Amino acid sequence: MATRVASDIGGTFTDLVFFDEAANAVEVSKALSTPHDLTEGVVETLRLAGLIDGDIDDFIHGCTIVINAITEGKGVRTALVTTKGFRDVLEIGRGNRPDLYNMRFEKPRPFVPRRLRFEVRERMDHQGRILLPLSRRDLEAVAAACARAEVRAVAICYLHAYANPDHEVRTARFLRRRLPGVAVSMSSDITREWREYERSNTVVLNAYVQPIAEEYLRGLERVVGRQRRTYLHIMQSNGGTTTFSHAKARPIQIIESGPVAGVIGAAAVGQLVGERNVISLDIGGTTAKCSLVEDGQPRVTTEYKLFQTRLFPGYPVKIPVVDIVEIGAGGGSIAWLESTGALRVGPVSAGADPGPACYGRGGTLPTVTDAMLLAGVLNPDYFLGGRLRLDQGQARGAIASLAARMDTSIESAATSIIRLVNANMINALKLISVQRGHDPRDFVLVASGGGGPMHAAALAEELGIKEVLIPNYPGYFSAWGMLMTEPRIDLVRTQLARTTETTVDKVEEVFAEMAREILQQYATELIAPEGVVFARSLDARYHGQDHTVTVAFNGTPATMEQIEALFHAVHKKTYTFDLLDTPVEIVSYRLTGVRRAAKPELPRLPAAPRPAGVKSRRSVDFGEGGVREAAVFERSSLPPDFGGDGPAIVEEVSSTTVVPPGHRFHIDAFGQLHVHLPV
Amino acid sequence: MLQVESVTAEIIKGKLLATADEMGIVLARTSMSPVIYEVLDFACGVTDAAGQLVAQTNGITLFTGTFGLQVQSMLRKFAGQILPGDVYMTNDPYGGGTHTADIALIKPIFWDGALIAFAIAVAHWSEVGGKVAGSLSPDSTEIYQEGMQFPGIRVCRNDEVVADVLDLVAANVRLPKNSLGDLNAGLAAVRICDARVQEICAKYGADRLLATFDGILEQGEQLARQAIRLVPNGVYVAEDYIDGDGIRDDQIPIRVTVTVKDEAIAVDFTGCALQAPGPINCTYSATLSATKTILKAITEPTAPSNDGWFRPLTVTIPPGTVFSAVKPAPVGWYYEGSAYVSELVWKALAPAASHRLTAGSYVSLCATYLCGRHPRTGELFVHIEPHNGGWGAGPDKDGESGLIATTDGDTYNYPVELVENKFPLRVERYGFNVEDGVGAGRFRGGYGLVRIYEILAEDAFCYASIGRSIERPWGVAGGLPGSTNYLEILSGRRRRRGARLPHTTLKPGDRVRIVTGGGGGFGPPEERDPDRVRQDVEDGLISAEQALALYGVALTPELTVDQDATAAVRRGRTGSPETAIADRGGG
Repeated sequence: MATRVASDIGGTFTDLVFFDEAANAVEVSKALSTPHDLTEGVVETLRLAGLIDGDIDDFIHGCTIVINAITEGKGVRTALVTTKGFRDVLEIGRGNRPDLYNMRFEKPRPFVPRRLRFEVRERMDHQGRILLPLSRRDLEAVAAACARAEVRAVAICYLHAYANPDHEVRTARFLRRRLPGVAVSMSSDITREWREYERSNTVVLNAYVQPIAEEYLRGLERVVGRQRRTYLHIMQSNGGTTTFSHAKARPIQIIESGPVAGVIGAAAVGQLVGERNVISLDIGGTTAKCSLVEDGQPRVTTEYKLFQTRLFPGYPVKIPVVDIVEIGAGGGSIAWLESTGALRVGPVSAGADPGPACYGRGGTLPTVTDAMLLAGVLNPDYFLGGRLRLDQGQARGAIASLAARMDTSIESAATSIIRLVNANMINALKLISVQRGHDPRDFVLVASGGGGPMHAAALAEELGIKEVLIPNYPGYFSAWGMLMTEPRIDLVRTQLARTTETTVDKVEEVFAEMAREILQQYATELIAPEGVVFARSLDARYHGQDHTVTVAFNGTPATMEQIEALFHAVHKKTYTFDLLDTPVEIVSYRLTGVRRAAKPELPRLPAAPRPAGVKSRRSVDFGEGGVREAAVFERSSLPPDFGGDGPAIVEEVSSTTVVPPGHRFHIDAFGQLHVHLPV
Repeated sequence: MLQVESVTAEIIKGKLLATADEMGIVLARTSMSPVIYEVLDFACGVTDAAGQLVAQTNGITLFTGTFGLQVQSMLRKFAGQILPGDVYMTNDPYGGGTHTADIALIKPIFWDGALIAFAIAVAHWSEVGGKVAGSLSPDSTEIYQEGMQFPGIRVCRNDEVVADVLDLVAANVRLPKNSLGDLNAGLAAVRICDARVQEICAKYGADRLLATFDGILEQGEQLARQAIRLVPNGVYVAEDYIDGDGIRDDQIPIRVTVTVKDEAIAVDFTGCALQAPGPINCTYSATLSATKTILKAITEPTAPSNDGWFRPLTVTIPPGTVFSAVKPAPVGWYYEGSAYVSELVWKALAPAASHRLTAGSYVSLCATYLCGRHPRTGELFVHIEPHNGGWGAGPDKDGESGLIATTDGDTYNYPVELVENKFPLRVERYGFNVEDGVGAGRFRGGYGLVRIYEILAEDAFCYASIGRSIERPWGVAGGLPGSTNYLEILSGRRRRRGARLPHTTLKPGDRVRIVTGGGGGFGPPEERDPDRVRQDVEDGLISAEQALALYGVALTPELTVDQDATAAVRRGRTGSPETAIADRGGG
């Protein structure tokens, strides 16, 4: 059988979704994640799915190995090599203080301490011309110092290496020869964009995790790569995939491996039903993640900052990352009272262990899941398909103590928790839509994760969204999204020039050179040039500005005036004005090469006359919709075109969908659940 | 039932903060001044009908405390004539503002015919006319040299912009397109606020919104009072000197007396020098704002700011001093003066509130201007740059190295690669100021920075206003003082040092070396963990000799701590800290 398998490792569960072409069926399996050796969980899901010795054509993987190593500070001892005079750039950072009034503010600590940051005499200018040749003597000294310090990885970042990487390349070659077994990364190999601190930090994080990622991927290869003809792919942060061998050299590219796949999935289900504009909302146990897909394209940002919050600058990573806003609001989010008596929900989560009070595993603090249970949204006998019986008494107990301090009833405390967590999620959804100039009313909300379908209708109502879409397998959605991905390479080159000082031909030359590089990389994966589709854009600005806008264009502009006109238009759209008389500067060139792969044709739901009646009825608190008797449906028994009116609850193994009074729902030909809001 | 109301209040609060953020995004997106959309030198907020701030954007601490005074001055001026569709414009430093370049746009918000709130957006325009381009002359002697003054005027009536005002602005500024663009950006911001507040009223009712305003203010006050209780009662005094005013080099004495009594704080600036001839002066509103910054810092720094927080605060200051300048004193460079306001109050409270306040920092934004003619294009260039420096140590942490000064906030330094692409300048070094060092202590200060520019252009010149170049950043509880800020011009074999540097010509090949100071230390240096001292040696921040001289830590040739020798040295140490610092010079 020909199979495409997607495997996603999350904090609690390892999910597997596979598409069996012969049977024309999508199947799933789930196992607990195994932090001591993550491959074990993957093997378990393969075993459960009967694929352990099966014939796998494509294996697509999403994992948290890179982000975990960084978060837990468990990367390897790493050195940094810099241009003479600049070894402190990594520690100075950008020097900003977002936590304005905190006079004890602490900057992000660098991942390489000063004693392991070495300077080398060499210098390029901003056009890539050599001002000072690379000092062989300094390289000898660096190699000796690295050996003495027993580093396992070395990162190299020289000034203006984006313009001319020659010195970095020669340094890497030298150090690899002198330091066998040490992982060597250079900044120009990961990004050719200017800004020395950002590039330094990016290459340092890459080096810091490289030996760990390499070891992990090797282990996985031994497990799933036994058949010669299995293609092993891994999810990158840019929303596309790459080969294991590339990920081993540039592991930083897979830092947001898992979450990004959910957005790709949302774009894919949108495509399936003809909706090009969707907002993806994935609510898990700890966080809610949202992202916006416009015209079928997820928004990819190059301003990604790891661990950034309103109060913390974070660590910039200059790789393309699908733009996701993540907040600490999920099923496990704990409700608590401030010293002033104000109710708060999250960001602290009870996680999976002990989990919400109703899990009966020793948790005593009130969580969103406990509130959902008391509100009647969750069925205590059908959580995870009945695998975990929810304890209503524990939930009441946890919320009762909160209610007592709030001087209110348990029921009203529960609905207050739900209203507040919804308000937090609405602000996150506004951040990716309204605050970035999009009107949410033009979008369909695709809700996934265990919690997405529970909250979606209430959130949509507040934002004026008219339709909510609950895909199949909402609890496996990241893995499902991976099935829909394609190989993708993004390149960037900073090369500053005024439009009056360059020509369309020169612009073409830069793009042609970048295209060659992309095709070369694909050639190593045996991908032919014909299958690669390119997308180009330029970062440009008015002379005098420091920030740029990205101008995407199709085909080849005939004249520089056309490029300028495009830029003026995009600038006006983004910033409401243009400056037609001011010179325009091209700053960076961006080229994306996507390998158009045949995506699986999703099976339609058979129209078999299955029982589709009301499973049961129960009283549900719909918040603003009041307490109502709701009809409860079993999702797996609903045939295509089945429809109904709220108040209703649609239950399935991995989630529960709330259909408030006045809303309608229906099942489409693929089995996806749509909730329509009142007009 | 009341509690459910409080949940609604929490939701409305969240919406107000989101509204303030959205105002900021709209303003940054529509502005045409780099100082606004890149340096983010602006702030937006919502006040109640009495002008009390209830929600504001993050951005810059300078604007913390001016909103209320600015709205209140409009309330006085237009009493009885405030109408829907009005927008007022003010930049009057003596009427609630800071300096002429900071323009406030204020829109009254009505619901059902009643005034319920104000939207306010303040932004630093890059040009308001006056003596020099950019409007902030380092040597102005009267406010009239600092550009146009808008003493609270109607810029909109019935939601229509008053065309005469636009004409007047356009005729009096050097970059009319930019300045009018900034005006439009501010109008867009206050209008979006109006729209959002209307939405809240429609959904929850104006009465609930107004009740939430009161709740926000009361809650802020309550939290502030709780936090002030943690500061021991007492009278705390601090003195310092400002380096000079841009006209004269004489040090300007300043003084504060802070009285903490239970849940209230009284700050008295009586005893400060009279207003200076140069533009370093602050008006009362700028001083009040800079004082509020520290009140917020010692209470609950991360909680959203509102005027409730400042109810326990009283500020006393006789008129006509350097911190309470009266018309027509120049105030263009008030941010150098207001940095000292914050730091002085901070210095007074640091020993009592060390859980929130660290030792002295490099204080000054150290703004430098490098200008000249670009050899490739022949165009004039101006590279304006604030510099990061060293912060003080706390009771449990070393100071931060290369962090932006208190006056600014979420503002970024300038990447070397961008500078070299944009200007005919080359950077030779950007790193820690290891040479001048930091204040030693149980915890040491953070490092200042050295940035060296080589000039590649003809007709180049520079000027700068660097403070904290004479008095060193202070230590706390036996910690030693840090090092000072300065600038050096290296031309051939000549080396010239300065701080408040007037217009100085430069030749190609000259080097401008900008040096910021290290922060003050906390606690006696002899109490520093020897292993931390060893690490500082390993990191190349101090030498083994300095480890011994400053900290009494003896290291073996393999750079391990010689425990016995260290114990002996520390036991026998009788020298004063000042001896230790003198020793460092020799080391």
